Amino acid sequence: MEKSFDVLIIGSGHAGGMAAKVLTERGARCLMLNAGPVADVARDASRKPAYDLPYRGFKPPGRLEHVFQASEFNANVWVDEEEVPYTFDAANPYNWVRVRLFGGRSLFWSRQSFRLSDYEFKGKSHDGFGEDWPIGLADLAPFYSRVEEIFQVAGAKDGPPQMPDGNFVPVDDVWSESMDRFVKAAKPYGMPVCKQRRAQGRDGLASSVNLLLPDAEKTGKLTSIANAVVREITVDKKTGLPDGCHFVDRLSRREMHVTARVVVLAAGTLESTRLLLNSGLGNSSGMMGHFLMDQVYGPGITCSVPEARNGKATKSLMGGGAIVPRFRNIETKHDGFLRGYALNVTSSTGGLDPRNFAAYGAELEQKLREYHGSAFHMSMMGEVLGRYENQVRIDKQRVDAWGIPVLRIETKYTDNEYKMAKDAIAVSSAVAEAAGFEVLTKNDVPNPPGYSIHEVGTCRMGDDPKKSVLNKWCQSHDHKNLFVVDGARFVSAGWQNPTMTILALSMRASEHLADEMGRSNV
Amino acid sequence: MLRRDFMRALVAVGSLPNALFAQQTVNPAPPPPAPVPWTLGLNPKTPVPVTETADGVAEDEARFFTLAQMAAMTRLCEALLPAMAGKPGAVEAGTPGFLDFLIGKSGEARKRIYAGGLDWLNAEARQKYKREFAELDAVQVYAVIRPWLRTWMTDHPATEAHADFVNIAHDDIRTATMNSKAWDDASSAAGRDWVTGGLYWSPIEPDMAGLGATANHLPPHVLAVPKAANSMPSYPR
Repeated sequence: MEKSFDVLIIGSGHAGGMAAKVLTERGARCLMLNAGPVADVARDASRKPAYDLPYRGFKPPGRLEHVFQASEFNANVWVDEEEVPYTFDAANPYNWVRVRLFGGRSLFWSRQSFRLSDYEFKGKSHDGFGEDWPIGLADLAPFYSRVEEIFQVAGAKDGPPQMPDGNFVPVDDVWSESMDRFVKAAKPYGMPVCKQRRAQGRDGLASSVNLLLPDAEKTGKLTSIANAVVREITVDKKTGLPDGCHFVDRLSRREMHVTARVVVLAAGTLESTRLLLNSGLGNSSGMMGHFLMDQVYGPGITCSVPEARNGKATKSLMGGGAIVPRFRNIETKHDGFLRGYALNVTSSTGGLDPRNFAAYGAELEQKLREYHGSAFHMSMMGEVLGRYENQVRIDKQRVDAWGIPVLRIETKYTDNEYKMAKDAIAVSSAVAEAAGFEVLTKNDVPNPPGYSIHEVGTCRMGDDPKKSVLNKWCQSHDHKNLFVVDGARFVSAGWQNPTMTILALSMRASEHLADEMGRSNV
Repeated sequence: MLRRDFMRALVAVGSLPNALFAQQTVNPAPPPPAPVPWTLGLNPKTPVPVTETADGVAEDEARFFTLAQMAAMTRLCEALLPAMAGKPGAVEAGTPGFLDFLIGKSGEARKRIYAGGLDWLNAEARQKYKREFAELDAVQVYAVIRPWLRTWMTDHPATEAHADFVNIAHDDIRTATMNSKAWDDASSAAGRDWVTGGLYWSPIEPDMAGLGATANHLPPHVLAVPKAANSMPSYPR
């Protein structure tokens, strides 16, 4: 007894949750499929001492080798690399960090909330590299504002043009003395230092499951199925248009089918692209799978503020965080690389990691006591350029636990990213020293691509159907009732965490879809 | 006859008439069907047995390190994290045995770093002091270890030979010790609670593939992604 829906939404994270909210509130009957189960913290999680776990809190050996973020405590929330494998050249590893729980990665994101600027939307116009997006900040600004309201983004309106201000819950804290010293030392380097911008959400969570899906459920028009692993999007043989999907129940392996008038993909950048490639849809341009991007994470420095040592850290001296938005290649041109990076800056009153001292035993303990409360950290978020050769495709030699062909990921950083990382560490160290801080540790080697969990691209938007997969409404150039509303549609990565842009674009695309359905154009 | 054997004999004699009587019953009650129906089994009123974690009660049996490697590891643990300020040291926390287990379960790269590193410690000790590393005093240990200590950021330990082992082992020894039952007990005794704790996620509706006799028709688990014998800025754990 198959039931047909107006819209099939595949994925339940920020992108899918926003689509469900907008479309159901506009009257569409939606079916949401999610590949994993519902996580219930009361049922599935409990406080435990590390010694009570088999590996004393260490990551279980051999599991989740490419999820650096995993520990024994959270190992069961990530996608198992054996259950859903992916392949790559061993010389160019990729860290594909995935969550298939209902709500996806929206359950665990870092909350940093930035708008892209026209330095990203119109990047090609600025420096000649890549392609411009088919939209600009002015197109997306109203949607950003509404998203910021829903997610309760806290911040100050102190951004330069490359970090547009938004609809913020005001923050009025003042810089601590150590932050103030950093601000002054950064000035000669042309580094704007701004207050952090974070989604506060509600009740401690800023996720699809508490901020978006409840609104959709309230309409009575959302049906959701958990543990539905989508195998393939199906096509109406008469019209050639997508008309639903085959999925397999994750637990029972029961094969099932659903139909819908419109298909909205929100499974996460690489899963959406994998599904389209496995379905043989939407790729008349040949661009699908190409231009995989993310952000360089890993490089950074750890410093100590001398005046805060030996128990002298006070709230007026230490504490607080800042964001240094991209400052390279804005008004001047840097010789070494295109685009730029941001720096997360934190002044901490907590302890320093023992790795910051080349000492052990009693000497190390003495250092840890002496330096406690004096930590000052800077870490880099660098834009990875969109290159055709950084791509994903289907690996026909390998299938996942449900027999679905897996993704092969072929991507690597280039000199542009490596030089950017070295510059970030050189400038950070210079500013720290100018501020009177002692630099304890530095690293200019990026983590493997994917580590940032900010993978974007592979189904990019564009006005030209020969050079892009989606139009400016995130609608397939090939199939008018097929939309991709997650990070796959990005044209460039920017230095910014992508969540606010994913949400705003999903809201915009979903409202357009609702309009078009109302006009019977879709 | 020991007293307990005498008491056993008394109990056996006392129960004999009942046993004989039971054999004379004309219509004995049929034995209950097996297994006992679940409705008669566990229920919300069933007392939950109290158990202890083995860590802190039992000792590990070394399976991975050789005797010489384990002796070097124990000395290394003793030197890098000795008992201080009311907290147990790495040896008291059973860290050498735990690391034998952890490394033995780990991938080849990690095994190589540890086995090679411990052999190197012994070789250095023999070359410099004509003794095994386990026999060195604190000054001699310092002379062997200190040149290889590095500062490093998360996921980016030193990659040069010897420095990789010394710094990774130091980090692992500290983590294993501070997450041990002994460390937690010491903290509790000092009025601090749950110093090693965290929110642990159980498997959430785990996939049934590969479990039980009915799994034969299901696709087998596929191989993991290639192990990272490559230039990753970390070593696989």
